[in-house]
This record gives sequence, structure tokens and C-alpha cells, in this order.
Amino acid sequence: MNIWKISLKNIKSKPLYTFLSVFILALSIALLLGIKQIEASFKYQMQNNLGNIDLVIGAKGSPLQLVLSSVLHMDNPTGNIVYEDAKKISKSPFVKSAIPISIGDNYKNYKIVGTTPEFATLYEAKINKGRSVEKSMEVVLGATVAKQLQLKIGDTFLSSHGLVENTIEVHSEELTVVGIYAQTNKVIDRLIITNLESIWEVHEHTEDEEEVENHLKEEHEHHEEHEEHEHDEEHEHDEHKQITSLLVSFRNPSAFLTLPRKINDATNMQAALPKYELDKLYQYTGVGFKTISWIGYLILVISSITIFISLYKMVKERAFDLALLRTYGASNLQLITMIAYEGFLIVVFAFFLAFLLLKTGLFFLFKVIETEYKQNMLHQLPMQDFIEIAVVVVVMIILSILLAIYPIIKLNISTILSNEK
Amino acid sequence: MIQIDNLTFRYKKEEHLFSFPNVQLNEGENLLIHGKSGIGKTTLLHLLAGLLKPESGKVIINGISIHSISNSKLDTFRGQNIGLVFQKKHAITSLNVLDNLKTRLFLSKKAINTTAIHTLLEQLHISNCKKSKINTLSEGQLQRLGIAMAVIHNPKIILADEPTSSLDDENCKTVIQLLIEQAKLTNANLIVITHDNRIKSFFSNTITL
Repeated sequence: MNIWKISLKNIKSKPLYTFLSVFILALSIALLLGIKQIEASFKYQMQNNLGNIDLVIGAKGSPLQLVLSSVLHMDNPTGNIVYEDAKKISKSPFVKSAIPISIGDNYKNYKIVGTTPEFATLYEAKINKGRSVEKSMEVVLGATVAKQLQLKIGDTFLSSHGLVENTIEVHSEELTVVGIYAQTNKVIDRLIITNLESIWEVHEHTEDEEEVENHLKEEHEHHEEHEEHEHDEEHEHDEHKQITSLLVSFRNPSAFLTLPRKINDATNMQAALPKYELDKLYQYTGVGFKTISWIGYLILVISSITIFISLYKMVKERAFDLALLRTYGASNLQLITMIAYEGFLIVVFAFFLAFLLLKTGLFFLFKVIETEYKQNMLHQLPMQDFIEIAVVVVVMIILSILLAIYPIIKLNISTILSNEK
Repeated sequence: MIQIDNLTFRYKKEEHLFSFPNVQLNEGENLLIHGKSGIGKTTLLHLLAGLLKPESGKVIINGISIHSISNSKLDTFRGQNIGLVFQKKHAITSLNVLDNLKTRLFLSKKAINTTAIHTLLEQLHISNCKKSKINTLSEGQLQRLGIAMAVIHNPKIILADEPTSSLDDENCKTVIQLLIEQAKLTNANLIVITHDNRIKSFFSNTITL
């Protein structure tokens, strides 16, 4: 028999009380850790997806929308820009690399990105199976796409126009899967990659068909003008090839100051800095996370108070037991150690339970996020956040244990024993 | 050996001063302290156990003036040399009978001898409820456990505070006989305070407060 065993037996003799204390504390720890985890995952998701993209050049509109659509692939693009104009910018001495992307089609809600082979290097994505795109109408799938849609190499599918799956505007050209990327936990996992030409071809056809319809309508009205017009169109076709945006990384930091302004002032395109735009966005959403965090801390305070009340009540209720222990020769320190062990046991169990709750809770939540929103979540909580919360919890608990122990120090054995009757 | 010497006591912020008669008990001698409620019987018992500090006077047990030693030494002294029996509360509720006795030995820094525990429980006729929880025991069993808790560590004195007040005549007789028997076995002084006239006849040495 020793103090530790006595504490353990005390805890075991009141299973309901112990369970409730453990459960309340575990809930608040899990909530706090969960919030931190989601916040960290959100931050990670954004920063990770930036890759080496310093600047995005696209059609005029909201810079945040441009960043969201071209970098995070979450929103609709602002419009298109002329490929030739974009190419001119990539020749600037400030620019280290410039990768054109063209978006606007999807297959079962997964976006199809027409780009150049350098796109994969932005995310350090390696081909896991098959090979990279060599000619038009070939695609390489991101890891998540391949997994969720259960597509294999050699499979073919028809893309649909727009960024949401629909049966109205389905392109008639079949795309063939030639490769699958290894998992990167970055945005490329949920993209379908092809070359620029594929996108152009698919859309030229569509445009041509539309044009034919228009022509038929207009034919009898502007019959004479028409032939001339058509000649021009074919001639300009190459020069007017369009892309959605250009992902630029700089050669040196001084470009941050000059290049974006130059583009915004001198061209009909806009340049947006992803880091800056996302920081802005994060500031807005950060308020929400802060609020939830504070609620989490509030719950922690409440559960600490609960633990304090139950330990305090236990000390009061067990006053006679404690007085008896003193008559058996126990010192004040031994009684304090006993109560402290009990509090400590509750905390350890609570952390354990919190961890289980958190892991199962987040498992399901992330599963939903990953399938519904096509986002990869960070499953590991940064150590720093974990330690931070653990320290706060431990401090709160030590405080409430100390407060609960106080009446023991004040314990008047004689009074308690005289009041037994 | 116990000596009570000019002992007085006053509760904080109270006028009334309790003063107690001088007593000397030699080894193996028992004492019954009899008196009405409120006369200071429990106060005297707590002074003897070192749970209260007197205003003046001394309690000397085996040559040690217990109120002049430090608190931590007094805790140890009490744990090793004194066994207390109460009227109703006899053991720690969260532990079973066996664990209570083991805890008692652990806290008085004595070796935990399971055979000795079993022998004692046999003598007190409660060896069948070793594993029982405290709240499942009957009044009579509880009082016997109370005695076991007071003698398991071979104390020098056994102090009993109204040990028989809540018992029927039969149990009353058994309990007081067991107390006297255990005191004899461990060669301890037994001091019983009570207002219960039924047990007067068991003691040759009686003081009335």
C-alpha cells in the first residue's frame, strides 16, 4: 500500500464522478486541439499551395478571385488574357519562370488545367504511374482525382465546360489518361493536368460550332461582308490564343515592387501577389478562428472550474476520511500528494480520451472536407500548438488542484472528528 | 505509561476553560472516563491524541511530552503509538476492509503483515468480509473493523470515543470485551470515554468528569 495506490482506489471507488470529470475535461481539450488543428491545416493548405508562385497575371477583376482561381483552384477565373501578351511579360529580366495555365473545364467537378510541363515542378509532383502529357488530349491525374474517380491509365472521359459538372455543355473530344501523379498533399492532387493545346482544341471546336450557328443566322443579312471577316479570323487565330493566367516566380525580390505595378498600369491585365492576397484573406477568416479559439479556452476554464468544484467537494465530503487518515499518521503532505495524484490521473485520462475524440472527430470531418471540397487536410498537429495547449491545460488544472487542496491545509481534525455524530 | 498533568484547554474565542484531573496509568491499565455530554470528554480524548493543543499542562506518553514536539513528529508519533476508535466512522469509505488495514499500517510506517491482519480479523470475527466495501458492512461489523483499525499497528494507547453508544446491548457487550481483550493482547492502555452506563462494570478504573 502506498499513497499512489490509495489515490487510484479513491478514483476507482467513484467511477461516475471520475468519468464525468474526465469527459468534461477531455471535451474541452479536444475542442481546443481541434480548432488549432483545423486552423493549422487551413494555413498549411494555403501556404503549401502557393508553391513558388510570386505573382499571378490574369484578366482584370478582383485580385483575390484571381489568386483563388489560379493558385488555390477554388473560384471561377476572372476571365482570359491573350497568350501573346503574357509571353511578352515572361521575357522580362525580373522573371525566373512563367507558367501559363488555362482553366475552364471540369470532369466530375475536378478542374482540368491546361498548362506546360513546368506546372508540376511548382508542386514537386512526380509521375507515379504512366508518363507525362506528350500530345493533345492526353491528361495526367492528380493523386486524389485518380483515387476518388477510380480512373486508370488508358481510361478516357469527356470533359464538360465550366467548373461545375453538367450534362448540358459536354465537349465531344475524349481525353485519355496517360499518367497519375504521386500524392503531394498540395492542390495538384485534385487537378487534371493536360497541355494548353488540348484546351484550345476543345474550345476552338465549340467556338467554331457557335460561329457556324451565328453565321447561318447572319448569312443572309451580311452576306458580302462575311467572307472578308472569316479570312481575318483564321489569320489571327494563333495570335489570339488565350490563357487564364500566368504563374510567375521572380528572379529577385525587387521585382515585387516594380513588376506588378507596371503590369497593372500599362496593360489590360492585372497582376496579383498571392501571398499578400492570402494574408488579407487569412486576416478576415482569422477573426473567426480567434473567436472559436476563445470559446475553446472559455470551455477549458469552465471545465477547470468543474474539476475544481468536484475536487473541492470531494475534499469537503471526504473531510472525515482525510481526518481519519491524519489520525492514522498521515502527514498533510501525504494528503496533498494523494489529492494531487487524483487530479493528475483525471488529467492524464482526459488527455488520452481527448486524443481519441479528436482523432475520430477530425478523421470524419476531414473525410467530408476531402471528398466534398476536394481539399487535402494536414492530419498532423504542429507540435508547438499541442505543447501550447497542453501547458495551458496543465496550468489550469494545477491551479484548480491547488485551490481544492487548500481546505486540507486548513483541516481541523479535532473539529471534524467531533462532528461525526 | 500515560500521565496527564494539570491539563487545561480553551476553545478559540470562548470564555469557558476546561480543566482536567491529573491521571497516571501504568502499563496495561485501563481507564473509563464517564461524564455528561458537553463536559469535555471528547476534548480530553483529542488532547490525549495530540489533535488539540492544551492551554497549559502536559500529556506524557511513554516519557514523551506530546505537545512539545513538532507537528510532523506528532503525526508520526500518533500514527505509531495511538489507536483511535470512534462512534460511527471507522474506516476510509473508498477502500475495502483489507486495504483499510494495509493503509493503516503503511501510514504508521509499519511493515504490512498480511498474516497478522488475518489473525486480527479472525479474532474480531470479521475475516469473511476482507474484500467488502465499507458501506456494505453492518453496524456491529463496522465497530469491529474500527477496533481492528485501532489496534493493527500495536499502539501504546487505545483511545475510544463513545464506542458503544450506537450499539444494542449484545453488540455493546461484545465490542467492549473485544476492546479490553485487544488492549491486553497488545499490552496497551485502553482509555474509553462514554456516557453509556452499560459498560461501567467492565472497568475497575473510572473517573467521572
